[in-house]
Amino acid sequence: MTRYAMAVDLNRCVGCQTCTAACKHANATPPGVQWRRVLDLEFGTYPDVARVFVPTACQHCDDPPCMDVCPTQATKKRPDGIVTIDYDVCIGCAYCVVACPYDARTKVTKPAFAYGTPMQNEAKRFDDARIGVATKCTFCVERIDDGTAKGLTPGVDPDATPACVNSCIAKALTFGDIDDPQSDVSKAVAGNAHFRMHEELRIGPRVYYLYDATREDTPIVEEAM
Amino acid sequence: MTYRGRAALQKVWDARAAANFMGGGAGSGLIVFAVAGDARGFAFDVLLVAGLALIGGGLLSVWHELGRPARALNVFRHAKTSWMSREAIAAALLVPIAFAAIAAVPGAAMLAAFAAAAFAVCQARMLQAARAIPAWREPLSAPLLVVTAFVEGGGLFFALSPWLRVGDERLLVFFGSFVLLRVIVFLVYRRALANVVPQAALVALDRAARVLNASTVVSLVAVAIVAYGLTPEAWTFAAASIAGLAATAGGAYLKYALVLRAAFRQAPALPHLPARGRR
Amino acid sequence: MSTQGVRRIPTYCYQCVAGPDLLTVKVVDGVATEVEPNFCAAAVHPGNGKVCVKAYGLVQKTYHPNRVTTPMKRTNPRKGRDEDPGFVPITWNEAFTLIAGKLNVIRAEALTDASGYPRVAASFGGGGTPQSYMGTFPAFLSAWGPVDMGFGSGQGVKCYHSEHLYGELWHRAFTVSPDTPLCDYLISCGANVEASGGVAGIFRHAEARTRGMKRVQVEPHLSVTGACSAEWVPIKPKSDAAFLFALMHVLLHELPRERLDVRFLARHTASPYLVGPNGWYLRDRATRKPLVFDALTQRAAAFDAKDVIETLEGRFDVDAIEVGPDDEVLSDGVVTGETGFTQLVAHMKAYSPDWAAGVCDVPAKTIRKIARQFVDHAHVGATIEIEGLTLPFRPVAVSLGKTVNNGWGGYECCWARTMLAALVGGLEVPGGTLGTTVRLNRPLSERLASATPGPDGFMSYPMNPTDKARWSPSPNIRNAYRSMVPLAGNGPWSQALGPTHFSWMFLDDTPKGLPRVTPPDVWFVYRTNPAISFWDTDALGDKMARFPFVVAFAFTRDETNHFADVLLPDATDLESLQLIRIGGSKYVEQFWNHQGFALRQPVVDAAGEARDMTDIATELAKRTGLLDKYNAAINRGAAGVPLANANGDFSLPVDAAHSRDAIWDAVCKAASAELSGGREIHDLAWFKAHGLATKPFPRTDWYLFPTMVERGLRFELPYQERLARVGAELGRRLHEHDMHWWDRQLDEYQALPKCKDFAAPWEAAVSVAGGKPVDFPFWLLTARSMQYAWGGNVGMQLIREVADNIAGHRGVIMNAQTAAKLGIDDADDIEIATPHRVVRGKAVLRQGIRPDTLLLLGQFAHWATPYAKDFGVPSMNALATMSMDLTDATGSGADIVRVSIAKAKGRAPSQAPMGRARARREMSGP
Repeated sequence: MTRYAMAVDLNRCVGCQTCTAACKHANATPPGVQWRRVLDLEFGTYPDVARVFVPTACQHCDDPPCMDVCPTQATKKRPDGIVTIDYDVCIGCAYCVVACPYDARTKVTKPAFAYGTPMQNEAKRFDDARIGVATKCTFCVERIDDGTAKGLTPGVDPDATPACVNSCIAKALTFGDIDDPQSDVSKAVAGNAHFRMHEELRIGPRVYYLYDATREDTPIVEEAM
Repeated sequence: MTYRGRAALQKVWDARAAANFMGGGAGSGLIVFAVAGDARGFAFDVLLVAGLALIGGGLLSVWHELGRPARALNVFRHAKTSWMSREAIAAALLVPIAFAAIAAVPGAAMLAAFAAAAFAVCQARMLQAARAIPAWREPLSAPLLVVTAFVEGGGLFFALSPWLRVGDERLLVFFGSFVLLRVIVFLVYRRALANVVPQAALVALDRAARVLNASTVVSLVAVAIVAYGLTPEAWTFAAASIAGLAATAGGAYLKYALVLRAAFRQAPALPHLPARGRR
Repeated sequence: MSTQGVRRIPTYCYQCVAGPDLLTVKVVDGVATEVEPNFCAAAVHPGNGKVCVKAYGLVQKTYHPNRVTTPMKRTNPRKGRDEDPGFVPITWNEAFTLIAGKLNVIRAEALTDASGYPRVAASFGGGGTPQSYMGTFPAFLSAWGPVDMGFGSGQGVKCYHSEHLYGELWHRAFTVSPDTPLCDYLISCGANVEASGGVAGIFRHAEARTRGMKRVQVEPHLSVTGACSAEWVPIKPKSDAAFLFALMHVLLHELPRERLDVRFLARHTASPYLVGPNGWYLRDRATRKPLVFDALTQRAAAFDAKDVIETLEGRFDVDAIEVGPDDEVLSDGVVTGETGFTQLVAHMKAYSPDWAAGVCDVPAKTIRKIARQFVDHAHVGATIEIEGLTLPFRPVAVSLGKTVNNGWGGYECCWARTMLAALVGGLEVPGGTLGTTVRLNRPLSERLASATPGPDGFMSYPMNPTDKARWSPSPNIRNAYRSMVPLAGNGPWSQALGPTHFSWMFLDDTPKGLPRVTPPDVWFVYRTNPAISFWDTDALGDKMARFPFVVAFAFTRDETNHFADVLLPDATDLESLQLIRIGGSKYVEQFWNHQGFALRQPVVDAAGEARDMTDIATELAKRTGLLDKYNAAINRGAAGVPLANANGDFSLPVDAAHSRDAIWDAVCKAASAELSGGREIHDLAWFKAHGLATKPFPRTDWYLFPTMVERGLRFELPYQERLARVGAELGRRLHEHDMHWWDRQLDEYQALPKCKDFAAPWEAAVSVAGGKPVDFPFWLLTARSMQYAWGGNVGMQLIREVADNIAGHRGVIMNAQTAAKLGIDDADDIEIATPHRVVRGKAVLRQGIRPDTLLLLGQFAHWATPYAKDFGVPSMNALATMSMDLTDATGSGADIVRVSIAKAKGRAPSQAPMGRARARREMSGP
């Protein structure tokens, strides 16, 4: 059984937003819509401060809260774990947006372009089906499907791998089949200390954050919420 | 230890969504009270139509918020897990039943009360199922919303009582107990959130608490005045009306605060920080 | 070109100095849609073939609605920020007629003016990046003759200026980098490799972190690099020299001598050279070679005497001469000499960590810890085998960043950094501190070949002359680098590495002794925006307004071409054609295991009437009667490769105008012939299909050490006799011409630099401006933003959008506690002021910054560039001044200003958009 997952090495990520930009290219998202982005977080008080860059996107949860709440079944989970949205079914109620603990979903209500009127590339790629519905990271599902149809391996062959992973300049992102112990992502997770965000919600996110356990003894005072 | 980022207020559900919770709660509560208060004839019909209008108004309001309103009927497609589908189904069932009740079909009134209550429960659970918002997903949010629905509906019931001549002291005391219950549930709910939501959410909830407390005091004083017969007969309905209005207003503000002001999203949280090389 | 279907076209991005990135552009039905890494390049590129975020802005750049797509001419003869230029479209023919008209008048009269300065000037953007886009324009400039390329836009003097000059002197290090693939411990003083090191830098440092390299970031704010480091040391601005001196003190005075690489110091540096009583090397009377004390014979011997065993430390009486400036013999006979190292040890005695703690606001124990960790990680004595060669292995390094290695204190920081490497034998060896490119020495593309023997056992260096016979007070260009800055050399890059602010400053007030500085008759501007990127930007605009004829190659309107007379739309990054060298060893972390060539090619048709720079250059050459010289320049290598070499002759006939494709076809063939030794000749079509061609680059060529050993050369450290001599001679020459305005700079020429209060000049500037220092208690700094640095991409919505995810792109970063004391909340409008100027912006409250420091990322405050002019983010450049007092001996300054801050009252005045500096008087009324 294939189950796609991503590993994010926080030790490597530098917050450059190359993945954010690559995603915007690959998925032609309109201005302000970022299916993935890198958060710039700061913890502690001067001079004991830690600053961490955290890539975040749809976590393709095992038990996705967005799917449960969706009143239309537009949001579905494929057998390979990818959570999808059927733009032709979605009514744009945004219930999923307020259900996703990772702030991974967006709804745009009207066409938007970088400089007001569409440029050639925007006009070429504009898709009215995405207006008024929820959108989010798909793990570049079309690339995965096209690639696997050609016998390519997601996470290994660029043409079958999410654009963000292809683009990462710090090799912070690894993708692949977490059910295959030989996949890069399985090895990355198995070989490193890791956590999943909001594990306490018991929704089984499929993005694994790798960190180096040696910092555990460094006290950084938690930031007030 | 968990390192938490800054939480952001949700913006995707705006006043139109809040209006659905206000209208839906008050409308369903009103229908319940119309049945529980044993309103008859014209008054019953007015109360039920008003309840339906409130629910319908709320739904119409939120329909305007849909990105694809023309596909609104797709909302019914996921009753298995989605409380929004269930809310829609409850609303869809409520309308014919309510009209049947207006048409005095035997048993329909009681069924309408149940359907309205079911609608209120669906709405409450809908909010609670939105797991990105800690202030919503707290388990006590659902009972709080159900109780306030009954309070808001009961409040409207008594607010209209001078004109419709419905309700009695027993029902008013019963209503008063719900007003009291609401504030208790809110306090417990607020306490449960103390370490769960950002400070700004607590500030918003505390402001709601002040409004709720004020409305509760006004409401309960008015109920007490009536219950202890401290007012001339002619003023009883007016006092009940004040009790009702205050309670409903408090509930409306609570919804506003809950949906628009306390709705901070789950903040990104890291149980560990990266080491960034050898220490 | 075919327009239907989906194609992926290989090309490169060189928007920043840390390029090139090799990419493909997906073109769907003739429309460029996506940028992706060129996955085929992964095997040869040190960053795994990935592409920087800036490249993703190129699609928007191509289709930007505000592009200038036809030539335009100014119709309003009055120039000024508040004047509408009244640009109207003209044809290319009209534009060329206009420009050639001006140029031909100059050719007919004289190429230089009454002051002796070139009448044509040209300014380009930082780091040499425009050269990867300007096609054959350099061939036109070469054909033209004297051109003043010293009107700076901030490159050089605001960049790693001291590093460029001193680095190149000491270890052929125009840019310095740790050997990141092997380094284990890096002290990074303000170097922001995550912002300016490009893909290769970021990739390598991520690999190094994973491997376990410890990086200590020493910087007033917690930058991205600080965030990604194991430790952050929040040092007081401009006190890095004290920190580095204290590290040296620990190594020299608090650790046993054997912890240092004594052998390296004795054999491969000038440490054992004997210094005479007057501070100059003691020399052999006959050969004038510096002397060392031979431990075996217990006598003085020439440094290169056979079988000599140099004594590292001590004081010896020897028979010698001591030669001072201008060849004056100051001692002759038996004199006492001390080794350079002994002098160093004595010199560093005072600079203890306890002393530095008070200067840097860094605890002494932290400094000691870092010094000891540095030495612990150096593994003195260890070796490593690379490509069959056994080399010392010293996996420790120190890197320096902007404002640390330029301006006052830059010399001292660079010297200390290089000395720290030398003390543990970690200079130019695996794991250690490396130079990665040369720009002042030649050949530019072969760093090791440039390490030719010079005087006294050191490498040669093309110093500008300071002897009486050859020094001249009449410089070749307006910034006077040849007269004032011996270290700048006199190569093609030297003009841009002089004090490029002088060209602007001296327009109003040329100092005594120099010919009066004049505006150029014709000024070409390409891929640069000095009205935003230099200091004192408002005044700079006023000066540009006085230039009689400005030709700006224009992507969109901007703050510099606002003053232009003609706008020329050049085909942009994805529309034009050029072949460049890649790999080998280049800027910063760009040292590769491969070298070769990559093609940038049109992936879509040029917008409107935009033309390729090569076609523009050819037409200008034709219309100015310079075609033969222009073609000859291309044949010589002005397009990057000599067209005739040992492997083939692809020269162009000089008497004809050649098409763009014909020129680059010849370049492609010559390049591939050079690369393959003549075995494979690839034409333009081949490069268009394949994108790049490479061959292996030996890893041992990353290190200068083997070359130094092979050529019997020593690193010119620690004692700077040559610099002291040059400085003394320069001082004499200036004083002979009654020029005393450079005296403070002359003090920088010291054989062993003293650590001073290097922040003091900026504090003093407050008083000079009429303010009280106590009223301006904050240091305003700037830092590069990875998303914008060098890119000229401020008008790209995509870049703006993604950059906003990183704190500080919307305002002024300040310490949250400081803000609380001043009653400033996050996102409040605040005013940042110097005695004369005020700018306004939003407060961005963070914990990761010193309480006495403010930070403005990037260089914004645009007022003409479409889209960017609405940002409302202020720029340090509007507050910074250009002054002699803030200029060091190399001619550089630093991006630092002393300011006050206050919560802004009321709305920003409508006449002065947020971010624009305005006279302080205007704020409070007359």
